[in-house]
Amino acid sequence: MAANNAGDLSTAATRQLVGGAVGAIALGLGVALLRRGFTPQTGRETLAGARTHARQKRSPLRVDEPPQVKAARRLNRAAGLLGTSTLLDSAVEHYRGSFQNKAMYTPLIVSALMLAVSAHGTRDKRPIAHGVRDATYLAAALTGIAGTGFHIYNIAKRPGGFSWQNLFYGSPLGAPGAVALSGLLGYYSERLRDNESDKIPKVFGLPAGRALAALSGVGLLATAGEAGLLHFRGAYHNPFMFAPVTVPPLAGALLGETALSRPRRPRRLTRWWLRLTALLGFAGAGFHAYGVQRNMGGWRNWSQNVLNGPPIPAPPSFTGLALAGLAALGLLEEHPDA
Amino acid sequence: MLDEALHSPRGKDGRAPDPLRVGGWMPMRQYGENDEVDFAIVGTGAGGGTLACKLAEAGFSVVGFDAGAWWRPLEEFASDETHQEKLFWTDERICDGDNPLKLGSNNSGKAIGGSTVHFAMVSLRFRPEWLKSRSLLGYGADWPLDWREMWRYYTEVEQALKIAGPVNYPWGPPRPRYPYRAHELNAAALVLAKGCEAMGIPWSETPLATVSAPRGRSPPCVYRGFCVSGCSTNAKQSALITWIPRAVKAGAEIRDLAMAGRIETNDAGYVTGVHYYREGQWRFQRARNVVVAGYAIETPRLLLSSANSQFPDGLANSSGLVGKNLMAQTNQAAWGVMEDEIRWYKGPPSLAVTEHWNYTDTGKDFFGGYAYMSQGPLPRAWVSSLAGNRGLWGDALLRAMEKYNHQAGLKIVGEVLPQERNRVALADEKDRYGLPIARVTYSLCDNDKALVKHALNFMSQSLSVVGARDIWTESDDTCHLNGTARMGDDPRTSVVNADCRSWDIPNLWVCDGSVFPTVGGVNPSLTIQAIACRTADRIRAMAAQGSL
Ligand SMILES: Cc1cc2nc3c(=O)[nH]c(=O)nc-3n(C[C@H](O)[C@H](O)[C@H](O)COP(=O)(O)OP(=O)(O)OC[C@H]3O[C@@H](n4cnc5c(N)ncnc54)[C@H](O)[C@@H]3O)c2cc1C
Ligand code: SF4
Repeated sequence: MAANNAGDLSTAATRQLVGGAVGAIALGLGVALLRRGFTPQTGRETLAGARTHARQKRSPLRVDEPPQVKAARRLNRAAGLLGTSTLLDSAVEHYRGSFQNKAMYTPLIVSALMLAVSAHGTRDKRPIAHGVRDATYLAAALTGIAGTGFHIYNIAKRPGGFSWQNLFYGSPLGAPGAVALSGLLGYYSERLRDNESDKIPKVFGLPAGRALAALSGVGLLATAGEAGLLHFRGAYHNPFMFAPVTVPPLAGALLGETALSRPRRPRRLTRWWLRLTALLGFAGAGFHAYGVQRNMGGWRNWSQNVLNGPPIPAPPSFTGLALAGLAALGLLEEHPDA
Repeated sequence: MLDEALHSPRGKDGRAPDPLRVGGWMPMRQYGENDEVDFAIVGTGAGGGTLACKLAEAGFSVVGFDAGAWWRPLEEFASDETHQEKLFWTDERICDGDNPLKLGSNNSGKAIGGSTVHFAMVSLRFRPEWLKSRSLLGYGADWPLDWREMWRYYTEVEQALKIAGPVNYPWGPPRPRYPYRAHELNAAALVLAKGCEAMGIPWSETPLATVSAPRGRSPPCVYRGFCVSGCSTNAKQSALITWIPRAVKAGAEIRDLAMAGRIETNDAGYVTGVHYYREGQWRFQRARNVVVAGYAIETPRLLLSSANSQFPDGLANSSGLVGKNLMAQTNQAAWGVMEDEIRWYKGPPSLAVTEHWNYTDTGKDFFGGYAYMSQGPLPRAWVSSLAGNRGLWGDALLRAMEKYNHQAGLKIVGEVLPQERNRVALADEKDRYGLPIARVTYSLCDNDKALVKHALNFMSQSLSVVGARDIWTESDDTCHLNGTARMGDDPRTSVVNADCRSWDIPNLWVCDGSVFPTVGGVNPSLTIQAIACRTADRIRAMAAQGSL
């Protein structure tokens, strides 16, 4: 018999089921939320088709939305989602750390601002960058980079340095990285809007679609790395804990392939895999809510367990990055050379 | 009622308490007293609990007896050091010798699950050379066991208890990864870590038997630090919540509040069963085999007090060694006050460890080794240390207690040498059951004292290099008990063989901390459980060969 205690034996199966159910509910919620984002993006739609479709829907006075603006708005949404995840996560974690250092408020303020400008950007269909948004995104990217520096310094000065103990329990390296990434995505979206609609969109001189695919791919890999580290800390005690270290890295790899290979479409597998990753982000929040329940006192003791348990806001960062990846695919649909 | 379990037995009428649920019960098989069960096991702690589980899972009929109560920690363990003394074995004993032992809180428990219910969860492996310390290191006695085989059983126990340990352990031969990751270090552990780094020796997170992530119905540890008063969350993987429920599920019957008083033998020189006291009367359980697992004082006491005309010196005692070679590991400490707030009560008491002086043979003027660990005594334990061992009282005591949250400390688990004069014998006085009380005689030898001196010196230095002030040492303390029914290869110099089977009576076994020929400088429970797993495997193999 396996080395389980009686609790495990009688209830292991039920537990997995409950975990699965909570995850499934979150998944459903995620599907509902994402639907709106997905519907207009179906890959098989041709450019002309999309235009007719748009014309039918919109007032004759409105001009068509150029593809890069569409992509930019998707990116605003992605940045906003990632920003929400980092806002909530850093709020919980830094509250847990009693805001010992005033600088610990920075990610909260920056992420909140980023959320606001992302909401603004998502609704803004003008093909020009916006000064305040631009500045906010840039500030977020810089804050994230500075934060990573702080966290590295914090770990280095603890006894043991870059030991597993400090990687597990010291300041997380990946979290400020996510702030930087969402700032970067937002900044990128502003650059996209600056492109003229009839040219191949470029950002920093690179073809925008591919560069964005690469950026979101790297982001997915890095975030999966962070999840892998923390799930290793949790000893992968639940098999579902393997999901974020398998699904998103594959999505990252597919995006890498997209960035590097010759223009080709449709990328059906990549698109579906990114959607799966996006859903997994929401499901993860559900699993983490169940993880909180498994701490002493469960949700009745929420004020402690939300802090001790797995971070509920963290997994949706996968959704944000997957949306960015989908935006990249969208761009490539419009401009195979982008 | 928090102590209801002490008043009437719970493991009866076909059911037993489920310690993992509030008010929970689990079905339990029951044997009649006239049923000759395969194994009657006295004691359900690290040795007996583990063995009961493994034997039941191997298909043997097993009845376990324990003098202690069957607790449900979730509802019956209070956050109160005094109340939780209900877990200690505090029956009367007579202690003498040059260094009389203080028995009770930190060395023996009385409960289903034994001392593991309130143990500190430190789960270390023996240094391989210690199993041959006479031949390889020149002191003590050799064990009849091979370290490679033990390495496998350690792994089994670590898996069964989901030990939370470091990813890489700095000492000894490679071991498989601990099933759960190490816990976060508290400030008290960081004092140890910084001290070791300053002194140039390695340190590590301590492998602990409390989970760092959920496991079944055990939530992860909440770091409230009540471990040695009993863990009310069930994060601690004691025998009570691991081996015992497994044993019951596999068909073992466990009887709580059942004090074994005598083992019966027949004319052929075999044991036939156990006399035990439960619910106001003496009873007798027939058994094909009897295993004694009452820990290093109660085990020899039971063997000695079962003497009869055929075995006038007690059972299994042809070597005259039952009760002798008692080893109580030294447990001295260095304490100091830190500038920063430490709050050492947070979390399991010994989150960081160094085994440097277990694995280093140079720079020592003594045989054996010691590990030392960070500390976190709760206020009552600390005040009694300050009053009892430091001699503070009144205003001075009050002022010292005000520094409680800045206090840090290091404590050893030190090896002591086996000495025949350190022993458990029977006194003339009788206890409430009418059984002779144990007389425990204990004296440290020069080697033990030299080890303690070395350790106190080293630990004081490593506190001072990290800025501790007001450093003082506590030189009079002992912890885990071992020896008294040692295993060996030779019936003349040991009580049991490598399989824990007594040389004199083939169906009498001893399976607990008593069988250690030497103790090493690590806490013993992991080794006791590994030996129990091995014994179960050997019994199964012997049964298959018809040599049981
Ligand atoms: C406070 C404390 C902290 C500890 N910390 C650690 C640690 O961190 N790591 C570690 O490895 N070890 C630790 N130990 C030691 C460890 O708990 C013991 O070494 C181990 O439990 C001994 O196992 P055992 O089976 O020999 O005896 P026990 O676990 O003590 O079990 C013996 C059982 O037998 C019962 N019993 C005895 N006589 C009779 C009888 N005549 N009839 C019926 N029942 C009887 C007792 O009630 C008891 O329940 C600690 C011990 C204590 C007390
Ligand atoms: S600190 Fe952890 S192991 Fe100790 S009593 Fe509390 S929950 Fe149990």
